[in-house]
Amino acid sequence: MTRLALLCASLLVLAGCQEESFDIQSQIGPDPVLPEPQQYLLPPMKIAKVVGWAQGEKPNVASGLKVEALATGLESPRNLLVLPNGDVLVVESRGPNLEPTTRPKDLIMGWIMSYAHGEGSGGNRITLLRDTNGDGVPDVRTVFLDNLFSPFGVALVGQDLYVANTDAIIRYPYVPDETKISSPGTKLTDLPGGPIDHHWTKSLVASPDGSKLYVGVGSNSNITENGMEAEKGRAAIWEVDRASGRSRIFASGLRNPNGLTFEPQTGALWAVINERDELGPNLVPDYMTSVRENGFYGWPYSYYGQHLDPRVMPQRPDLVATAIVPDYALSSHVAPLGMAFSTGDSLPPAYRGGAFVGEHGSWDRYHFNGYKVVFVPFKDGRPNGKAQDVVTGFLNEKEDARGRPVGVAIDKSGALLIADDTGGVVWRVTSAQ
Amino acid sequence: MERLATNGTNPRSTASIAGHPIHPMLIPFPIACFVGALITDIVYWRTAEMMWSTFSAWLLTVGLAVGAVAAVFGLIDFLGSRAIRAQGAAWAHMIGNILVLGLSLINAFVHSRDAWTSVVPTGLILSAVVVLILLFTGWMGWAMVYRHRVGVSP
Repeated sequence: MTRLALLCASLLVLAGCQEESFDIQSQIGPDPVLPEPQQYLLPPMKIAKVVGWAQGEKPNVASGLKVEALATGLESPRNLLVLPNGDVLVVESRGPNLEPTTRPKDLIMGWIMSYAHGEGSGGNRITLLRDTNGDGVPDVRTVFLDNLFSPFGVALVGQDLYVANTDAIIRYPYVPDETKISSPGTKLTDLPGGPIDHHWTKSLVASPDGSKLYVGVGSNSNITENGMEAEKGRAAIWEVDRASGRSRIFASGLRNPNGLTFEPQTGALWAVINERDELGPNLVPDYMTSVRENGFYGWPYSYYGQHLDPRVMPQRPDLVATAIVPDYALSSHVAPLGMAFSTGDSLPPAYRGGAFVGEHGSWDRYHFNGYKVVFVPFKDGRPNGKAQDVVTGFLNEKEDARGRPVGVAIDKSGALLIADDTGGVVWRVTSAQ
Repeated sequence: MERLATNGTNPRSTASIAGHPIHPMLIPFPIACFVGALITDIVYWRTAEMMWSTFSAWLLTVGLAVGAVAAVFGLIDFLGSRAIRAQGAAWAHMIGNILVLGLSLINAFVHSRDAWTSVVPTGLILSAVVVLILLFTGWMGWAMVYRHRVGVSP
C-alpha cells in the first residue's frame, strides 16, 4: 500500500511538473497546441476557497481603466442585459440541483463543488438597476421578476422580454421604463431541463431582425457518462422561431455553449464553449467561435476537429469527419461563460473592435486558469491577436476566490459590466479618464 | 499438507463472537462484489450501456469497504495466533488478499473515469485479475478452515 501511495504521489508530482512547463499562451489563438490526452486515477483538481470581497476591495483593471461596483449584495448574479433605456437587468441564478448521485464519484464531486460555489440559496430572480442621473451609481434597485427556475439567458425584442429558464423560454410583456413585471408570462417553448440537467445555463440571444431566438443548451454530462439518451437535443445551439415557438438544432457538438451574441460587423452568431474535462490540465482548450448553421463541432466524439475522445463508444466516424475546427482557443479549463462585443466608444481605443470574455475559472488543474475577464481583439469580424487581461484579481494573493466573473455586457454609456456570481457583485469598468 | 494443529486443539480465531469467527462472516461480501464487478464490466464492454459501468463502480466501492473491515478482523486472527502464522496457507491467503484490495482500489479509481475508459480496457483487466487471485486466496482460506481447522471448535 505504501508503494501504491508513493506511486500515486509521484504521478501527481509528474502531472504537476508537466502542467507547469506547459506554455498556456500556446493555447490562446486560432491554432492551439494540443498535448496527448491523459487518463488519470485521480485527475488533477484544485478548487479556490470562497472568501468574498472585503469592504472596499476591488478587482484589478488594465491600465487606462477603472472599476467600481455597480451593485453589491446580489444573490449569485450570472448574467446581464442592458435595456434600451439604460436599465440593467441582473439575472441572479442558482443551479436546479437535479443531478442524482449515480456513482460513488458523484458523492465526492458534489462535496468538492459545494466548496467552490459557497453558501447561499436565494436568487432565481432578475433585479433591475437604474442610474437616473448617469453618475455610475444606480438610484433605483427593484426585483424585476421573481420566482424563476434557474434562469440564465434574457433577451428583449420590441416589447417582448424573453427569459430562458433552465427548462423553458418564457415571454413577458415589457413596458418601457417599468421597474417590475408582475405578469406570469407565457411559455414560448420547452428546453431540455431535468432529469440530471448537468449544464443548466441556457444562454439566449435574439437575431438582429428579431425573428429568431438562439439558445445555448449544454450537454448533460462531461463526456456521455450519463448515457447518450440523456444528450437528446443537448450540446447544441437551438434556433427558436419567435412567432410560433417552433425549434430546431441550429448547430451541434458544442459541449456547453454560452455567451451567445451576434458579431456587429459581420452579423455572425458567436458563442464561447466550455470543453470537456479529465483529459489533462491542458486539454481540451475552451474556445470562442462563430457558429455555422448546421455545423457540428465535435462533442462528444472528437475535439478541435478530428481529435478523437477515447472515452466515447460507440464512435461516429461519419460525424467526426464533418467536425468543424473552432475559431479561437481561450486555453484549457478557463470556463468562459459570458461574451460581449465591444460597442460604443467610451472605453480606451485599444478596446474598440473585439470581444470581452468572462472566464469563470478552472477547477480541474493544479494551477488556476481563468478567473478574469479578457479582451480578444477583432478585425473584419475575426479574432486578430492575443487575448489580453482586462479585469483580474478575482483570486487574492492566497489564491482564495473573492469573486468569479460570469456574464459580461456593455452598458448604454459604453462601459463594461461584469456579473460576479461568487462575489455577489456587478462590476462596472470605465475609462480612467 | 500436514496438520499444524497440535495437542488436539484447533488454531483459535481471536476476533470472534461466541466462538464464531468474524472474518468468514464478512468475506462473502467482497467476493460477491468483486466477482459481480467482473460480470458487470463484461456486460458494459459488450453493450457500452453506462448503467453497467455504474454497477461496477458501486460493487467495487462496497467490496472495498466490507473487504477492508474483513481484512482488519482477518489480521487480528493472524496476529493473535502463532498456530495460524505458522501456516503457509495463511500467508498466501493474506498476501493474495492484500493484493486483491490494492488492485481493487486502483480499479475503483479507474472506474471513476467517465464513460468507455472507466472500464475498457484497464478496469476490465483489473477486475478479471482480481477474480483470478480470489480463486487462489479463497482456496487458501478454505484450506485453513477445512484442512487446518482454523477457528473450528475443538
